Amino acid sequence: MAGKSLVITSGKGGVGKTTTVANLGTALAMMDHKVCLIDADIGLRNLDVVMGLENRIVYDIVDVVEENCRLEQALIRDKRHKNLFLLPAAQTRDKTAVKPSQMKKLVKDLKKEMDYVIIDSPAGIEQGFKNAIAGADFALIVTTPEVSAVRDADRIIGLLEAEGLKNPEVIINRINPEMVKRGDMMDIEDIIEILAVKLKGIVPEDSVIIVSSNRGEPVVLKEDPKAGQAFKNIAKRITGQEVTFLTLEDDGFFTKLKKIFSLS
Amino acid sequence: MRSSISFKVTKKGIVLSINPNTRFNDLKKALQDHVESATNFYAGSDMYINISKCSFKIDQLNQIVNIVRGYKDVKSIVFTSKPIKDEVIKIKDNGETVLINRTLRSGQKVKKAGNVVIIGDINPGAEVIAGGDVIVFGKIRGVVHAGAGGSDHAFVAALKLEPTQLRLSNKIARPPEGSFKSKNIKPEKAFIQDGKIMVEDFEI
Repeated sequence: MAGKSLVITSGKGGVGKTTTVANLGTALAMMDHKVCLIDADIGLRNLDVVMGLENRIVYDIVDVVEENCRLEQALIRDKRHKNLFLLPAAQTRDKTAVKPSQMKKLVKDLKKEMDYVIIDSPAGIEQGFKNAIAGADFALIVTTPEVSAVRDADRIIGLLEAEGLKNPEVIINRINPEMVKRGDMMDIEDIIEILAVKLKGIVPEDSVIIVSSNRGEPVVLKEDPKAGQAFKNIAKRITGQEVTFLTLEDDGFFTKLKKIFSLS
Repeated sequence: MRSSISFKVTKKGIVLSINPNTRFNDLKKALQDHVESATNFYAGSDMYINISKCSFKIDQLNQIVNIVRGYKDVKSIVFTSKPIKDEVIKIKDNGETVLINRTLRSGQKVKKAGNVVIIGDINPGAEVIAGGDVIVFGKIRGVVHAGAGGSDHAFVAALKLEPTQLRLSNKIARPPEGSFKSKNIKPEKAFIQDGKIMVEDFEI
């Protein structure tokens, strides 16, 4: 059985791609799926740190591509979930160390073994981005409620469509319910109107995320945080389940969300 | 008065012919005006300047060269004194119209010699440049340039006109700072009147 591959991308840096990959991967693994995360950010690797697996790296993606090792040797098993793997990026090389055709083959090989292959794309639209999307079956775009992030997301959607990755979906990260309520933040309706793509999930802003990233423990491992809940819901939607959107304390906000959904 | 310069678009590039009966000062003025209004419309194309039957002093030729250097990003400029026989591609003022059936996203650019009709939006960061008119069945939020070759009759119409910047011929306008962005559809049309860009409701 062949698995699915998806790329998490954004254009703009710092919107939460790596956090999203770590959490969706962990959440899918918690649902008993076999998952492999690929860090395509060669030269600026982070995913291993966020997963807390930095000290286990022996081989990396460039070693696999250059055939210094077998693919299985480079895969790092997660310390909490035995069905979750990480293929780390090389830190001492740059994006040109891998070609899109090599990525395509790599992802194809991984899909034979895994249910889900999640690729963490670097920021930008250059070679690294092209590598990251090369093997993906579909794309999830992470954006934040900021004009610049939404602008970059729009550019990325255009590029994805040009590469034949149709119908990408969007995750809006770091929504601050208080600010939306006060009208100080771009609201979800505006973002979806500009991007004209399907909303895959919304993740509230939460300082717990920073703590968990620093500790190398994805936030979905904890029961409480709303952000963790949000990532779990997105993971369920990836597997095809219908999950209603999260209430972010504020009833008005929720009603608004429901309205958007009945529209789309 | 017969115009002192004329343009033809051929498969090889742009042919600029100079009318030999023009007084040098009129010619200079006409060239200067055209260079100014063309901005970078001829970017990437070759330009052939036909000076057959004209006689210039060296100093005058130098002046002409200096003026035509103002065409931005033109690939090459060639002077010739022989008539050019290349096949002419006919583009009338309101000639060809191109239909684009999708939303233009940030970073996407459309550049056409004739009119452009878009069914979809022009998102912020996208750019449309047309020699003729631009009609958008959707929202304009990016940059639109109509009449880019210097046509003052070109117009831009959209179901919602909220461009980052609007250019008509050689005029540039931007929405007032902090202007109210309405959620409703409100068809509007922008055109040049008395040398200024005007926007008014589109009467249907």
